[in-house]
Amino acid sequence: MRWPLLFCSLVLAAGVAFTRGASSAPPATAPRTLDDYRHFRIASIDLLGRMPTRGEVATFERADFDFDRWIEGHLQGPAYVERLTRIYMDLLRLEPNLNFSPAPAQLFRHEVLQDDGKSVYVYYRQNQRRAEPSIDGEFCFAPDETGVVIRPNAPSVGATPKALPKKLLEARTVLVHPWWLYRDYRSPHPLQRFGESWKDPDPQYRPVETLLNEADGKPTIAVHVCREEAQTQDLGHVHTSGRLKNAPADEKLPGGRSKPPPIDKPFALQHKGEPISCDTRSALENSIDCGCGVGLERCIPNDGNGATNAFYFPNKMPLGPGQPLDLVKQRAERWYPYWWSREAVHFLDDLFEKDRDFRQILVGRQSFVNGPLAQFYKTMQRTSCCGPETAFGMNEELAPLFEPQNVPIDLMPHDVETWRMVPDRGPRAAGILTTPMFLQKYATARARGAVLYNAFLCKSFAAENAQLTPSTEPNLMKRPGCQTCHATLEPLAAYFARIEPSSTVFLPATNFPAVSAACRKDKSGKLNGNCNALYDVAFADDKGATLRSAYGSIAHADAAATGAGQDITKMPEFAECAVQRVASSFLGRPTNADDAPLLTALDKEFVASGFRMKTLVRGIIRSSEYRKANNMTSAPAADAGAK
Amino acid sequence: MTTRRRFLKVLSGSAIAALTGSPLTALAQAATKENEGEFFVFIHASGGWDVTLWSDPRNEAKGIVSPASTDNTDKGQVRLWADAPLDGATKTFELVRPRGSNLVFGPGIGALAEVPDRITVINGLAMNTVAHPDGSTYSATGRHPQGGRVAASSIDTMLANELGTGQLLPTVSLRFPSAFVGDNLDRRAVPLAVDDVSSVGRTLFRSQMFDANAERDKVTALLSEEASDLAKRSTYPGVLEGMDLQYQSLRRMLGTNLQEVFTANSLKTLHPQFNYKARFGAGPAVNASFAVEAMKRNIVRCVSFTFGSFDTHGNNYKTHAQNQQELFDMVATLLRALDATPHPTRTGKKLSEHTHILVVSEFCRTPQINLAMGRDHYPNNSALVVSPRFRTNFSFGRTDVEQLLPMAAKSFTDGSRAIAPPDVLATFLGAFGIDPRKYMRDGEVVRELLKA
Amino acid sequence: MGIALLAAGCAARPVERVVGTPAGALVARETIDQDTTPKAELRMVPPEVYMRTYLQLFGGLLPDAAQQKARGAEGNNLFDTWDDYVSSLGFPDYRLDIPRQTQTNALMVAAFERLGIALCDRAAERDLAMLGKAGGPKATALPVQERVIFAFDPAPGAMDEAQFATRFDVLHRTFLGYPAALAPKERAPRYLALYRDIAATHAKTLPKSKLTPDQAAWAAVCYGLVRHPEFHLY
Repeated sequence: MRWPLLFCSLVLAAGVAFTRGASSAPPATAPRTLDDYRHFRIASIDLLGRMPTRGEVATFERADFDFDRWIEGHLQGPAYVERLTRIYMDLLRLEPNLNFSPAPAQLFRHEVLQDDGKSVYVYYRQNQRRAEPSIDGEFCFAPDETGVVIRPNAPSVGATPKALPKKLLEARTVLVHPWWLYRDYRSPHPLQRFGESWKDPDPQYRPVETLLNEADGKPTIAVHVCREEAQTQDLGHVHTSGRLKNAPADEKLPGGRSKPPPIDKPFALQHKGEPISCDTRSALENSIDCGCGVGLERCIPNDGNGATNAFYFPNKMPLGPGQPLDLVKQRAERWYPYWWSREAVHFLDDLFEKDRDFRQILVGRQSFVNGPLAQFYKTMQRTSCCGPETAFGMNEELAPLFEPQNVPIDLMPHDVETWRMVPDRGPRAAGILTTPMFLQKYATARARGAVLYNAFLCKSFAAENAQLTPSTEPNLMKRPGCQTCHATLEPLAAYFARIEPSSTVFLPATNFPAVSAACRKDKSGKLNGNCNALYDVAFADDKGATLRSAYGSIAHADAAATGAGQDITKMPEFAECAVQRVASSFLGRPTNADDAPLLTALDKEFVASGFRMKTLVRGIIRSSEYRKANNMTSAPAADAGAK
Repeated sequence: MTTRRRFLKVLSGSAIAALTGSPLTALAQAATKENEGEFFVFIHASGGWDVTLWSDPRNEAKGIVSPASTDNTDKGQVRLWADAPLDGATKTFELVRPRGSNLVFGPGIGALAEVPDRITVINGLAMNTVAHPDGSTYSATGRHPQGGRVAASSIDTMLANELGTGQLLPTVSLRFPSAFVGDNLDRRAVPLAVDDVSSVGRTLFRSQMFDANAERDKVTALLSEEASDLAKRSTYPGVLEGMDLQYQSLRRMLGTNLQEVFTANSLKTLHPQFNYKARFGAGPAVNASFAVEAMKRNIVRCVSFTFGSFDTHGNNYKTHAQNQQELFDMVATLLRALDATPHPTRTGKKLSEHTHILVVSEFCRTPQINLAMGRDHYPNNSALVVSPRFRTNFSFGRTDVEQLLPMAAKSFTDGSRAIAPPDVLATFLGAFGIDPRKYMRDGEVVRELLKA
Repeated sequence: MGIALLAAGCAARPVERVVGTPAGALVARETIDQDTTPKAELRMVPPEVYMRTYLQLFGGLLPDAAQQKARGAEGNNLFDTWDDYVSSLGFPDYRLDIPRQTQTNALMVAAFERLGIALCDRAAERDLAMLGKAGGPKATALPVQERVIFAFDPAPGAMDEAQFATRFDVLHRTFLGYPAALAPKERAPRYLALYRDIAATHAKTLPKSKLTPDQAAWAAVCYGLVRHPEFHLY
């Protein structure tokens, strides 16, 4: 700290450390000092997102330059929005390094030989049910017919492909004009083909070349799809094959298949003939009349038998999607995770651009969708359900986090750059907490709870020097050595007990009570198989069992993520944490005890303004702490030598 | 003109010099000489590894321990997996007992089983965390993050600061959780953090079509002066002094032909012994060969990189053992490469005699198998050291039989307790005569781990 | 005994009386605000800001376009791809949970040099086309007011200090955001010396250079500023 020479008196001005309300600009007639230029540069970096141009510096030098008005003007711009989004993206890191490839949504393809010697691609789904035992649950041509055993995600087995008779190909496949090729795929006779009559396709929409051409290199006009996959109805029926057990090991399998055809599951036997929604996992496993929908819009293509490519999209966009640094051929299973991340960024951008109540980051029901996200929320998200959930009467998602009927109906899967705001995702939406990106990035209930605690309350779990001793206590809130952290973490995790790990499937209380009397320990101390998947045997007795992750707080489990958002945003630490994070970012250093007056004042204003970030940022930028944040002196070199 | 800051530094230096004859000074002086030409490799097994598959093997269902078995592991690619009975048709693995060693391993140990006399295993590390960022930071720095912020420098920074500032690249960090924290560190020790080695090569390329090396060098020299002058005008000159040093480093970097060292294809050609086609370890293999080449040319002090991911919560646990095998195969290949490489400055010596490797992870995995047929996070851990200064063919620390939790390893100054990451890092520093308290708040030198 | 002697010694002197005078009021000579704001080191400009500024200096181009322009007809001689630099520049990778770099390091400084050279060499080619080689390709020089970097007419013949100063001021404002007159007084002479040195020796140092000595000299001044600590720190 540079102190004045001894012969000058000091006047400590109370509040000199933080002057709010005063103009940030020096008097118009005084020449600009180096500190003035530096302050302008820092403010430009923060609010323009770049250093000031020569012209902007010249404007700053003018006598009539109004710095306060300049600040106000740039609290509206995209750079300001990006500045704030960056704070929370650095914190939450909402970009995917994961795949989303539910079986009902994945269309693989295999090259088959026709009897005219030409090859053709045929699209199919893994585990698709079919009436014919030789192909039930497999590709729609048996190994005896094709000469190879086709295995998704594995090399085919068999040396010599056989040519398929044309009649067989026509009997087993259908020609479809798929969504990835045709803009008007929903019309009875699609004509607008990508690369030809499809005028003005979204420039960001780029299928890989191999999806646009046939095996012989000619442009694809229509694709061959196994007949079952080509079905378009929304409702199918539960099918039973009559096979209740696997064939004996020595029995020859039909059609030369390598594994036996699937047997009927208990669900199918119980619900035989009943209607079933075709966009669910259950439909793939239990129906022969459910397919990929009109134009195959419930499915995403792969250009091969495995985790293969589908579209070009960027990996690196540090300046936003409008300025990607690359455009890379990517796998189909990365397509939706990429758009989930974009949705999260749009949510944050909107929050800051519209200067919404910052609490909406945890409670807001709005979100943003483009074409792929609309496709995802309408149909794809439902493919994650249902497996063990069917034992609890949930055959399809009953309480989605994003209500499909709230999705804009006019968005096509290839409208990648058309973004629409959805004002209300539904009653279970809770800001960023119920977006797929957040739920997949923080895959477990504890991870989600920990992030809430750290990111939005600025607290961390640090159990230093806690001795862990062997214990049979299942309750981590009580177990010695664990309780320091878990006494806080388990109740937070309980808020997410109803959202399955690594998934967006919500378990409604109607079917999944927090404590279920239907799930009890038997005499051997076990829960039955389906109960075990969703209820915790460690918190079960002969009367009932607790939903997994709920034991920390049943009330929190029932309040769910919406309750988490409400409860967290009501805590005084929520505002304090937001103020601290934003102030720290703009000041370029962690805040400390000396910043207490500044932070207290900012916190008061922030809360009084209705949690508006612009008020907070305005207060920071106009503070003397911001102006004098670093120690670069304007003193001439002579003074530097006097140190 | 001496700044106040520099004056105080000189003063404190004089005070220490006045204590000539104190054990600390003598130790430090001796240590400095002895440490000339020591190299370090730090590997972070990212995601949290299953210690029951390598260092703390379990092949019996005891307590809450469910051993790896043919139900949950693809044993086909795991060379050292030999079936042992478990439950009916389900088999587990036979323990791996290297000849001439008391060490016992799981099959994930890979080729390191052939060199038990070169390695030190530390089990029962008390992690007190099961969060990835926390565990990574704790393993690398010896402190848990404080409010999300890293509170201390990482081990590679510490050693670079202590022993590496004279190198062209004191520390190169390839996705390792390196951290540079603190006011009293030499800015040359800021980790050179990059995604992959090849991106460095292009950054160092200079065209000769427009301007000459000599001209660019003049500009850099001017900037070095500018930075130095600005530092003199600053109350806190650290950052500017750091840039001054970095400009000087740049001049040296560009004066040395580093293209070969920083190009993946060149490295693969120079060191074909690494498995560049490994399923999990192809990228890290390039990093390992970079480490060898960079040490051979004496341009680094520390190389740190990541191998992973081991975060197998679901049925991706099936390949966990193979993943581990590839990690330890790579370490064994690295050791052999160092055996075959002459030391750049110590005549007649091999690099392996003066290279020290530490392999850590953020925590281990649960002894139980979860519903998704994987293992979750668990607050226990192990570490591997390959160092001529450590006691080899040796295992330290333990866990309890039924729950795989860390047990008291010895009496520390704060009582009987399990060993923890700060102790491992402190021991690493202590092996080179460096006082851990210079960098670390916690941790004690565990003499039992070091050679007499 | 000692105390008695002491008392005897003290008793020999007359009793001292200290008479106070009323203290006058201190007259304030000057009022100075005490700066109690916490101080911190300079921080590194975020890589996003660096990149945006770089693109703006390249003429407000998108990354792809700037990359093409920087590469020009010489392939990857002056510039590779943004992908090659992203990690060195300290960008975070949220997918892999790699945090952003907040401190410079030697590699980052190397990346700054590589990018700075590309920017300035291309700017010299374009803005200072009038100084280009006789008979060589002459881009139509933009009007001064449209030039982003070298927004001045080069002085005819050798420059004196004043002529250099006005032009240096343009570059100083462009890159560092304030007039050169407010910079340390050694700065302008330093850069003038650099300019003169390069201009005098370039032809001999690199006879086949695509830049003339004057262009090379101005390019050197340019990347001496775009790589300056005050550019990268704030």
